[in-house]
Amino acid sequence: MNEIILKAENVCKSFGITKAVCDVSMSFVKGEIHGLIGENGSGKSTFVSMLCGIHSIDSGRFVLNGEELHVRNQVQANDKGVSIIVQEMGTLSGLTVADNIFLGREDKFVRFGIKNTAAMNREAAMLLEKYGFGDINAAAMIDNYNFEDRKLIEIVKATHFGPRIVVVDETTTALSQKGREELYKHMRRIRDEGNTVIFISHNLTEIIEYTDSVSVLRDGKYIDTVKSSEVSEDELKRLMVGREIANKYYRTDYGQPVEGETVLSVRNVSVPGQITDISFELHKGEILGFGGLSECGMHEVGKAIFGASFDRAGTVALANGTKIDSIPCAIKHSIAYASKDRDNESLVLFDSIRDNIVLPSINDLAEKNILKKKKLDKFANEYAKMISVKMTGVDQFVSNLSGGNKQKVVLARWIGKNSDIIVLDSPTRGIDVKVKADIYSLMSELKEKGKSIIMISEEIQELLGMCDRIIIMKNGVISGELARDERLNEEDLIVKMV
Amino acid sequence: MTEKTKQTEQNGSLSKVKKVLSAPRFLDLLPLIGLVIIVAVFAVMTDMEIVTAKSINLILSQVFVLMIASTGVFLVMTIGGLDFSQGSILGISSIVISSLSFYSIPLAMVAGILAGALIGAFNGFFHVKFKIPSFIVTICTMYLFRGLCAYMTTNAPVAAVTNITSLNLTWLKVVFTVGVLVIVYCIFTYTKLGASLKAIGAGETAARFSGVRTNLTKFLVFVAAGAITGFAAFLNVIKVGSITATAGNQLETMILIALVLGGMPISGGAKVRFSNIIIGTLVYCVLNNGLVMLGLDTAIQQLIKGTVFLFVVTLTIDKKSLHIIK
Amino acid sequence: MNIADRINKIKNNKIFGRFYGVLLLLFIAAVVFAVFKILTPDNFGTPEKMYYYLQSSIIYSVGACGLYFIVVMGLFDFSIGANVVLSAIIAVTLSRQFGYAGLLIGALVCGTIIGFCNGFLYTKLKIPSMIVTVGLMLIFESLAYFASGGEKQSLDASLQFFGKAPGNMILAFVAFLLTFFILKYTKIGTYCYAIGSDEYVAKNMGINVTKYKIIGFVLLHFFVGIMAVLSVSFGTSVTATTGMASMSRNFTPLMGTFFGLAFKKYGTPVTAMVIGEFIISIIFNGFIALGAPTTIQNVVTGAALLIIVALTTKPAKGAVVK
Repeated sequence: MNEIILKAENVCKSFGITKAVCDVSMSFVKGEIHGLIGENGSGKSTFVSMLCGIHSIDSGRFVLNGEELHVRNQVQANDKGVSIIVQEMGTLSGLTVADNIFLGREDKFVRFGIKNTAAMNREAAMLLEKYGFGDINAAAMIDNYNFEDRKLIEIVKATHFGPRIVVVDETTTALSQKGREELYKHMRRIRDEGNTVIFISHNLTEIIEYTDSVSVLRDGKYIDTVKSSEVSEDELKRLMVGREIANKYYRTDYGQPVEGETVLSVRNVSVPGQITDISFELHKGEILGFGGLSECGMHEVGKAIFGASFDRAGTVALANGTKIDSIPCAIKHSIAYASKDRDNESLVLFDSIRDNIVLPSINDLAEKNILKKKKLDKFANEYAKMISVKMTGVDQFVSNLSGGNKQKVVLARWIGKNSDIIVLDSPTRGIDVKVKADIYSLMSELKEKGKSIIMISEEIQELLGMCDRIIIMKNGVISGELARDERLNEEDLIVKMV
Repeated sequence: MTEKTKQTEQNGSLSKVKKVLSAPRFLDLLPLIGLVIIVAVFAVMTDMEIVTAKSINLILSQVFVLMIASTGVFLVMTIGGLDFSQGSILGISSIVISSLSFYSIPLAMVAGILAGALIGAFNGFFHVKFKIPSFIVTICTMYLFRGLCAYMTTNAPVAAVTNITSLNLTWLKVVFTVGVLVIVYCIFTYTKLGASLKAIGAGETAARFSGVRTNLTKFLVFVAAGAITGFAAFLNVIKVGSITATAGNQLETMILIALVLGGMPISGGAKVRFSNIIIGTLVYCVLNNGLVMLGLDTAIQQLIKGTVFLFVVTLTIDKKSLHIIK
Repeated sequence: MNIADRINKIKNNKIFGRFYGVLLLLFIAAVVFAVFKILTPDNFGTPEKMYYYLQSSIIYSVGACGLYFIVVMGLFDFSIGANVVLSAIIAVTLSRQFGYAGLLIGALVCGTIIGFCNGFLYTKLKIPSMIVTVGLMLIFESLAYFASGGEKQSLDASLQFFGKAPGNMILAFVAFLLTFFILKYTKIGTYCYAIGSDEYVAKNMGINVTKYKIIGFVLLHFFVGIMAVLSVSFGTSVTATTGMASMSRNFTPLMGTFFGLAFKKYGTPVTAMVIGEFIISIIFNGFIALGAPTTIQNVVTGAALLIIVALTTKPAKGAVVK
């Protein structure tokens, strides 16, 4: 099955002066899972969105099965046999499951303008059964289902009509282990049926394990395609970045465990439906990691510490006994929080870099309640430059920045606030390798300065590489604790997570 | 990750013109340019009559109440909310002021502000505590208090103490208006309260995670809007002397039109400018008076007003910042 | 089992679950009725009177149905009141020559044209719907004034079939049926909800958002045309005024729409809108029966809606509400 099904020929796309995709030519064969990797800004998302009709092509073309592809929206792409499963929410609230599955393609149930809802529901139920999602009710409102189930419904929506090319765009980051297994299962089925999956992911382990071949894009240009079975993660990283990653990616010290004063004490903290009876202590200068499967509750722990949980029981207290019960209280007592939901919780997207960096520190920056613009500008510039945020100026809106730079702005604001306890939730999620390295070295710097960091992450490698201690959670409770050790490996952690 | 960026065209000189026209500096100035153009147009059409002292005085006399009340709504719209109850607030506060004016005028003024603040608190409470959209809450309170106003004036208009109209002095009203503008401007631009308003408008969740007390701030904004209009009611009373059931009718719509003419983004956020209030109110009043001066029929005046409104808004709305227009 | 569990059991019951919303509304209506009946048994609540209350409320319910299409998409229209006046004037004028045909066709065609005009300008000018319809309100009020010469237009006594039972009930019922049908059995319903849910995703799915927004406005004003017929038949005359007086006509239909939205999740928006306006009418007339002045109407409408929305809104914790 080595026949070529899809060819990209000299495809180009620019947004204003930014060249997102430059003269990319690639081919994909039938019956394979083809990985596509690259740093943020490498053009891979833009490339596939042109294929799927989300963006228009500036020049060049896609040739599917010998025929040039001209599509202007997803439904047209679907009709040609190309579909995409996106990273964010791809289904619409307020509609039923069946409505969502057939959105844009209702016409086969419509006669003389009348929609045969019953027939549509029946067919949807049949499809759900066929996919093994039989306990999802086709006629129910999709709002009754959580994000993960809605993603599964999206899989049905994107693949039920037998597309020849299915793009999976960084979907796995948001799914639990179970959800990911379902996705892999269907990816394999599509391949075994002789069709092609284009799989985009930042998780190189996953890429090597599940793909047959991998293509790399860098700075909008095509670099190379390699066979997954013959390549290592480090080699992939090198192709993505273009040079040897400096050795100091993660921390390289494996010295003494951190003992010292306790800076934060968490006792019997519970949040209904999320976490139960969590107790631990954080020491000065320590990097404490939290790991587990997506739904284990560790993300809620971060919120609980920051005073952002609703209905939290138990106590979160500083060394001097001060209890932390609300966000303003947490910030005032030098606790910082970088959320996993960056665009909603950590950043005011439609506002300037300056306003974002300045906001948590606004109390400190006001002299007798008065704020001076010059002072705010200086403050923002100082910290933005310290972390090398790539921007045109502090007046630039955050929405125009890339993922990595947005995270840098988030970190800049907390460094500007000089917080002593920093809670980082998934700090390197969806961020390219180079900026990841910057963030890790920043964490080490902060540790040297005596700051204490809590790092919540779903990437086991990063926990192993950066933390002094790792607490594993499972089903809302703590299931184990491991100390930093060179000999520690993934299995040791996974065994406590499942 | 799918990117949601818009593509700009690059076709030589046309793009250069477009670039100038869409530069933020230019867009900021557009309402001001609009004001100048409207004044110029009417100056020509009324043979310069519109720029005489008498006419300017007349225009100004209508500006005060509108400008002060708009300041309050400006704050509400900055956080992304809407307030349709302003007219009713003006009515009730005016009645309170008139009734108490017999005891003491300063007391009456304070009472008016308090009345407005109370209604604002009512708005804020339902909006924040029950999480009902401000659009709905303020429409309900508009109805409620409009009815109350009509009830209180059923038998006769509520008259204030007769000598209150002696306070209807232009210089006094100018002082009051400028005073309100300056105070609110300082709070808006130079305090952390002002900074947090823009943050709430642009990204409320993120503002909350940055330590802004969003619920309290939103509540206070509605109280402030009510109080400011309560103060505007004082200027209303000294002008008209007695309050009928229709006091403040449609004030909320006039405020909306004025702010929009001044270039204010309807969903608030980081791109609001204080000048929206001033320029918008002036444009609105100049337009109103200019049309009257031309001696046109009321219906034709309104037709022109509506058309000019649509025209001005089409030009001044910053389309780039509205990703999805509702 | 405590009350919450009991309620949940009803909600999930396969047979009755679907009617939970309607039952709740009828319950509220019954409670409201009972309150006033107890307070003033003689003045209020006789079957004829109830019938009367119903008839006056369905005029607004029809408007509410039309408004529902665009409010669900996140849009709004301030020119509804102006349209009622304008369509009514056109309808009455035409009825003088063409009788009932003129009355109906005049109003419906006028409404449809206005709807198309609103939708077209909204999509072409790219201004938020709230703002563009304020401008249009001003324009339509003036046009209505020109069309009627500023004078009261009276509907001939022989043409008042739609002003009382069964004419008005039949027309309103047709309107309700139409709304229900469009929402449940056509693509328009699905797409309106889709656009309201996430416009960007809907567009990506190939839904022609512009087209359906215009259709929404056309439907809205078509129903407003029906409302105009009912309104002018009921009141027997219409006078055009300027000075934004028509704004006050915008909000009573909106009340019904809010009911529809609040009960959307129970799957019966149209019924909710009809019963909702009826409840408001009962309350208003109840107060009148108690001897309250007519000015109480606005107080009642405002308070009633506020209470009902407060009781039925349940946003997720931490959700942002503007």
